[in-house]
Amino acid sequence: MPSSAIATVARKELTDGLRNRWVWIVSMLLATSVLVIAFFGTATVGVQGVRGGGALIASLMNLAVYLVPLLALIMGCGAIIDEKQRGVLDLILVYPISTGEYFAGTFLGFALALAVAIVSGFGVAGVVLTLWSGVEVGAYVLLCGLALVLGVVFLGLSFLLSLLSRDRTRAVVASLFVWIGSVFVFDLVLVGVLIATGGELPSGLFRALLLLNPTDVFRILCFKWIGSSASSLGLSTLTEFVPSTALLAGVLVAWVVVPLCLSYALFQRRVANDTLT
Amino acid sequence: MGIRLDQVSKRFGAIEAVRPLDLEIRRDEWMGLFGHNGSGKTTLIRMLVGLSQPSSGQLLLDGDPMDREAWRELRRTLGFMPERIEFHGDLSGEETLRYFAGLRGVDTKTVGPLLERVGLGAAARRKVREYSKGMRQRLNLAQALLGSPEVLVLDEPIEGLDPRGVRDFFALLREGGPRTVVISSHRLSEVCRQVDRICILVDGAVRALGTLPELYEDLDLPVKVHIYGTGAMNGTFHAALAALGAAAVARRGEALVAEVSQVKKTAFLLGLRDCGETIQHLHVEEPTLEGAYFDAE
Repeated sequence: MPSSAIATVARKELTDGLRNRWVWIVSMLLATSVLVIAFFGTATVGVQGVRGGGALIASLMNLAVYLVPLLALIMGCGAIIDEKQRGVLDLILVYPISTGEYFAGTFLGFALALAVAIVSGFGVAGVVLTLWSGVEVGAYVLLCGLALVLGVVFLGLSFLLSLLSRDRTRAVVASLFVWIGSVFVFDLVLVGVLIATGGELPSGLFRALLLLNPTDVFRILCFKWIGSSASSLGLSTLTEFVPSTALLAGVLVAWVVVPLCLSYALFQRRVANDTLT
Repeated sequence: MGIRLDQVSKRFGAIEAVRPLDLEIRRDEWMGLFGHNGSGKTTLIRMLVGLSQPSSGQLLLDGDPMDREAWRELRRTLGFMPERIEFHGDLSGEETLRYFAGLRGVDTKTVGPLLERVGLGAAARRKVREYSKGMRQRLNLAQALLGSPEVLVLDEPIEGLDPRGVRDFFALLREGGPRTVVISSHRLSEVCRQVDRICILVDGAVRALGTLPELYEDLDLPVKVHIYGTGAMNGTFHAALAALGAAAVARRGEALVAEVSQVKKTAFLLGLRDCGETIQHLHVEEPTLEGAYFDAE
């Protein structure tokens, strides 16, 4: 039964992921960072104590932008290629399981492990914040959900990088480049382009460029759905450029689907040609 | 299940790893596959289990071409023991086997007894990273035996096993009734007597194929007869041995060693009674498969 094979692989990958100490280190870092931001985020402007409301959500969104992609890339960068290098993949492919079932099970397992890590990180901090601060629970949960989707996007990208790399080391390096590019460099380049063109960039083009970066799509969706904090997010000035929520959600879904489809096509081709490293 | 390779070849760019060859592995037959590194052994094994597609030719299962459905059918009843595998160190032996049982659709209740059978019962809950090389090899065998497959393909299965481990390994393989088995190994002397037929691959081509006696006969490797006598065993005796069919005679310590072809062996030994020397002791050194193997190069 196909579903049974997918579940078997997913269960094993979930177990493996949850035994990866790096996953828990980043998860703990996430929880600690949320609490530090909540309790000491305003210390620099002379305000002490717990912070709630939109400003906190805005800070947490930025935190998610940095940490969640990193967590997903760390988890997924060795996916499949590790199995191949250890000889396990060859053995599995001799079993009565299709490449599609194996791929789906692996991604599902990784995604579940990522979900557990993100929900744990945000969840632990969320319980503390609910007890000690006036955090908007609805907005916080929504942020967690979007962060999870962002994580799945980068997990898909990590699968693609893993399959494009010849070994784990190369996959890790490529993942770091993607993380730096997406989280830091892309926006700087975009600002640079705006400055270079004297702000004369057509809004359609600017919008399209924003959609090329999943972290920007995530930021804008947060802005749309947690709109009260727009000014804190520094995005209110972008209103005229911001596409519709449906389009943004669709783009984010596409950021999940497209890398995954490419990864699967690559995986299937390399298995068929026996060229998977 | 019987598997036939019909003019199967495999090419990697300019390199022809396996030249077009015909090979039949009969139902319930044990086939030994031997060859040096680079002989095409592993490529052939990979094609046999469907991990690599032939560049030309085709595989037939019970006489029918292997289409997608036939592969699916074979995989349900195929056990594969790869040469190099590193199981997940964080999983226990039991967890590892449960995982593979799930993939094969085998009842996980069979995992415990199977681990006992391969001698890992006491270590079932220990993490695989704590296993010795021999224990990992047993675990590898256990996963191949899951669900009692009808066809077993074993790539260098006794690598890392001590003599007792090798004996236990073959005893385990014999359990569970007849099945088709393909074993590749470098340890010829330990494997050749366990299999029904032997296939020697050299440079991607079948150099020799047959039963052990057939192989000896085909390759005509000489028997070495060590003769210990009381007399001088001088030139006259040498001439007598040559007359009896010895191809070469040499002194080794106190013995004379005569090389005799397989076909002349019996007549030679019988003839020694009347050769004029008092023979105290005879030691017949049969050719080993290693001899045939290296001779085939």
